[in-house]
Amino acid sequence: MRLVMTRTLPLLLATALLVACGGEEPDTEQLGFYAFGTLVDLSLYPAGEYDVEAIGTAVQEELEILHTSWHAWEPGSLGRTNELLALQGEFSAPPSVLPLIERGREMEALSDGLFNPALGKLVAAWGFHQDEPEGPPPDDDTLAELLDDPPGMQDIERNGVRLRGTHPDLQLDFGGLAKGLAVERVLELLAEQGVEAAIFNAGGDLMTLGRPQGRPWRVGIRHPHGGVLGSIELDAGEALFTSGDYERGYDWEGERIHHVIDPRTGRPSRGIDSATVLHHDPAVADAAATTLMIAGPDAWPEYARKMGIEHALVVLEDRIEATPALAERVQPGRDREPLVVRELP
Amino acid sequence: MTGGLLRWGDALIGTLAAAIVLTAFVLAYSPSGDARVLVISQAGAEPRHEPLDRARVLEIRGPAGITRIEIEPGRARCAESPGRQDICEASGWLQAHGEVAVSLPNRLTLQVLGTEPGFDSMHY
Repeated sequence: MRLVMTRTLPLLLATALLVACGGEEPDTEQLGFYAFGTLVDLSLYPAGEYDVEAIGTAVQEELEILHTSWHAWEPGSLGRTNELLALQGEFSAPPSVLPLIERGREMEALSDGLFNPALGKLVAAWGFHQDEPEGPPPDDDTLAELLDDPPGMQDIERNGVRLRGTHPDLQLDFGGLAKGLAVERVLELLAEQGVEAAIFNAGGDLMTLGRPQGRPWRVGIRHPHGGVLGSIELDAGEALFTSGDYERGYDWEGERIHHVIDPRTGRPSRGIDSATVLHHDPAVADAAATTLMIAGPDAWPEYARKMGIEHALVVLEDRIEATPALAERVQPGRDREPLVVRELP
Repeated sequence: MTGGLLRWGDALIGTLAAAIVLTAFVLAYSPSGDARVLVISQAGAEPRHEPLDRARVLEIRGPAGITRIEIEPGRARCAESPGRQDICEASGWLQAHGEVAVSLPNRLTLQVLGTEPGFDSMHY
């Protein structure tokens, strides 16, 4: 017996190590395509369980419908709604636009008006209602005119499915909210298709459905200045959204003009390079990320509290600040400074 | 040791073999942040894996034109890509595990990976 043990034990040890060296097959399947005006990436768990092509087609078709319906400047349901709102007469709204309007009202109220989807004219004036944004920026007179009694979501009267605009400058643009609602819809679709667990990533903003057995989702967070800011483990039903000055913009006379417009000044927001929000509701995460960026370096914790956000971080020129709850969860990347914790008021 | 169960030579060979296997395991699978492979993902296509072992230039054709990718040992970058905003080029050299560059006009992402467990998804 002792002979068998002494000769077989090293062999077993070596075999076990070789098996360990054999590497692991990924437990997820990846699917990538272009939809909703961006790159979409879908990770499905467990691998080998789904008709990936059918799921990809269903998601792509759904996103194309939403993209057409909710686009701020191309012809579609929202474009038609904007035309009718401008006429200030009552009309029946396309059903696909009503949830946007309701969630838009809610986010405007939560953010004390910093997130205002009624300011489409202002966004367009900065050259962002085109696929490749470009200047010139609006002059001071144009800005003053647009900021004199600007429209808000209260300028839409609703009676059932009937809407009426009450402000001549009202033009809806749901950038900062539409993607959140689209993510919510896609996760519902994946659940309807019988998907047990998935990450749906649309242009970098993402949400989890369920989670793999025995491990969390592992997500890397890109730094807006390049490289990896850190990583985070996500549980089921968590959405991670970022708004940043690097996403859409152009250079004009040496100045970077980006697409997040501060309704208080009528100009691109300043002081925060990007704001990231983790929340169970992707629409809230999306709108809050935009709001915190507009709020600026001093006030962002106050607006996070107003919007019920516990997990947020902002990238400033020289540091990254985070709420205590998110600082606990983010593992900074190699050679990155620790996050600076900002308490919520 | 010489009494018939294991001779000293057997023990030496066994120890050396175990040491080699252990060393190989540590070298190959211990987590490392250094990039070893570039994953090129283009919408609608299987991801392509390029080892970061030698200098070369790749040209990837997309809907908006050609994205030129420079590879050097341990790093890669988007050297030229369609689009006026230069977002892909601005990502610079990708050399730490997980770093990513995106070309929206050409609908592709570039991500370098080390030997750490890969991310399920990249937030940007």
